[in-house]
Amino acid sequence: MGYLDQEKTDALNNLKKERGIGNLGSEKNPFDYYAREYGTMPKDTKRAPFQWVSEVSYKNVHRIVARGYDTTELMEEGYGVIEVLFVDYQARIPTIEEEKMLNYVMIMMLEDGLSAPAAISRIVAKSKTFLTQACGASIMAFGHAYGAYSSFGNRLETYIKRAEQENFTLGKAAELLVRENGIDEALGVSSLMLNDPAAKRMIARAEKLEVAGVNIKFMKEVVKAAQAVSSDPVDIDMLGATGAVMQDLGFTPEATWAILAITRSFGAGAHYIEEVERGELSKLGQQLSPKTDYDGPPDRSVPPLKDREKHAQSAVCKTPDEWKQRFEKMKGVMGSGFSIVEEIKDPSKKSGIKKVGKL
Amino acid sequence: MINENNGGTRMDREPTLSRKTSISYKTEEQTVMRGYNLSDLAEEGYSFYDAMFVLFQSRIPTEKEEKMLKYEMGVFLEHSMSPSAVGAIGVSAGRPNLPVCVAAAVSTFGGVHGPGAAHGYMLNKYLERGVKEGKTVDEIAKTLVDEYMDAGKPVMGMGQPQHIDSDPRAEPIHLKQEELELQGVYLEFQRALEKYFHARREADGRSYVGVNVVGSGNTALMEIGFSPNAGWCIGSVARGFSCAAHALYNMKKGRAWGASRNEPMVQMIDLSMIKYVGPEDRIVPKQAERQEYARKQKEEGEYKQWVI
Repeated sequence: MGYLDQEKTDALNNLKKERGIGNLGSEKNPFDYYAREYGTMPKDTKRAPFQWVSEVSYKNVHRIVARGYDTTELMEEGYGVIEVLFVDYQARIPTIEEEKMLNYVMIMMLEDGLSAPAAISRIVAKSKTFLTQACGASIMAFGHAYGAYSSFGNRLETYIKRAEQENFTLGKAAELLVRENGIDEALGVSSLMLNDPAAKRMIARAEKLEVAGVNIKFMKEVVKAAQAVSSDPVDIDMLGATGAVMQDLGFTPEATWAILAITRSFGAGAHYIEEVERGELSKLGQQLSPKTDYDGPPDRSVPPLKDREKHAQSAVCKTPDEWKQRFEKMKGVMGSGFSIVEEIKDPSKKSGIKKVGKL
Repeated sequence: MINENNGGTRMDREPTLSRKTSISYKTEEQTVMRGYNLSDLAEEGYSFYDAMFVLFQSRIPTEKEEKMLKYEMGVFLEHSMSPSAVGAIGVSAGRPNLPVCVAAAVSTFGGVHGPGAAHGYMLNKYLERGVKEGKTVDEIAKTLVDEYMDAGKPVMGMGQPQHIDSDPRAEPIHLKQEELELQGVYLEFQRALEKYFHARREADGRSYVGVNVVGSGNTALMEIGFSPNAGWCIGSVARGFSCAAHALYNMKKGRAWGASRNEPMVQMIDLSMIKYVGPEDRIVPKQAERQEYARKQKEEGEYKQWVI
């Protein structure tokens, strides 16, 4: 389409100016609204045209190539999913021991009973969706508490790096980690696996296969540090074991997060299927929420619309003190969001591939 | 600060959802899938592919079946830029949590992109019909092709918009299935379907359209005992692995938002990438004019061409 020609642009803008459009013609605006162009931006010929840039893979009519390896050739040579994960995420073929270890981890991650991913998959299934929607939803269950591989792994890396840079032992770094972060949902140490040997067996397997490295070594120190300060019995859990093993296999915390969430999604797919096979569909408005579970304001009558101003309370605060008072008050309104304080990073200024696309 | 409420023994371990299930159970001592302790399965040296048979079919597969699944999943995992990878990359531009990108990627698999379940249901439907009508596999394959092509419907598992003369993964999957001596009713059906499909197109003077990875891969999956939906899950979720890598690459090395004018290459959603073909720019009616304007617009009906 491109920009509208100047004569038509002026005519349209003049007509709008005569009619006036709300506040858009205000002098307070840092622009002259009635001088704006219409139509879409012409193609940018000074820069290289858009292309999907990838270091991971390419394909053409006849082949699909990941990190330089033709994927059909990989399969013909006897490789499989496990090896392609190393290829895609690390651009390398794993050793047999590494392949065995990732295989072990993925089996362990395949199923976890009716935990969040399976539960979400089943809830989505009841809406009569595609299976893939339910599998997608199950992956979204992985956050910074359930399957907190990104939080866990980045923290592990940070303290290992601190030990190296500040020249203290891993034991000291572990004490510091526990002291500064507490026994929280991303530590990898908890009471969850006190009676289930699976996490410890995984660590033992990594050591037997000689793939254990600094992450497992450090994780053991973290366990000791947590046990030293916890009033309750705690030990390494599945987050700690799988996370440390994956990082010793060379996967970044984010790669670990993705690989293990996706692995669980196969299990979630089976739960979708079973839910459809066994269950009834869920219709809009079908589910009731018992009043016994409700702890909000008591039932009250809706004020007549004409009396609205008598009943309405403005949220506008004229002073910081008023603002603070209201903020604290709103913390008591569960579901309003005032009790949650978090930081969401904006990485946009640090990103970009400056070397790609130069003409 | 030690937060014992989160890390201590007081955690709520009640299930998120209460359900009767024959897939798995989990106690404080073990996680058991289809009767097998998961940790024992891993310790014994079974593969992840073996575990998929346990998950979906409640059985340990033969070595050849395990090899077939390994091949199929591996070859399907990475496909560079397809709707799933592009979905993941598009979502990653806003820098959400990584799992969101993967969820979007897996959710792109529908009726066109990797329609594994649809292909499986099609084969099952006609196989059943063949049994009822006393037709051979070859005969019922011809019936399928004729009925689909007479109705102008696409035959599932045939054709790929990028690999226009032959999907590089497809025939090798058939060959692997034959090499592993896993030919059964599904491969016989699919091969016959392809034969009649090619013959029909040739007779109609149309170009060659090869089997795609769904046609061959799903045939193999069904042959080794997976249901259409289980096969679909295996394929689409396996693809999630590579889509996550594409999203991660873009999150770590690509430009957030995908529209910066400071990049040497025009970005994915640069303003110049927009081509608009809708109604021309027009005046927004004042509220006082609105009712008459709206009525006239409805009467004239010009808007109907834009309704989607």
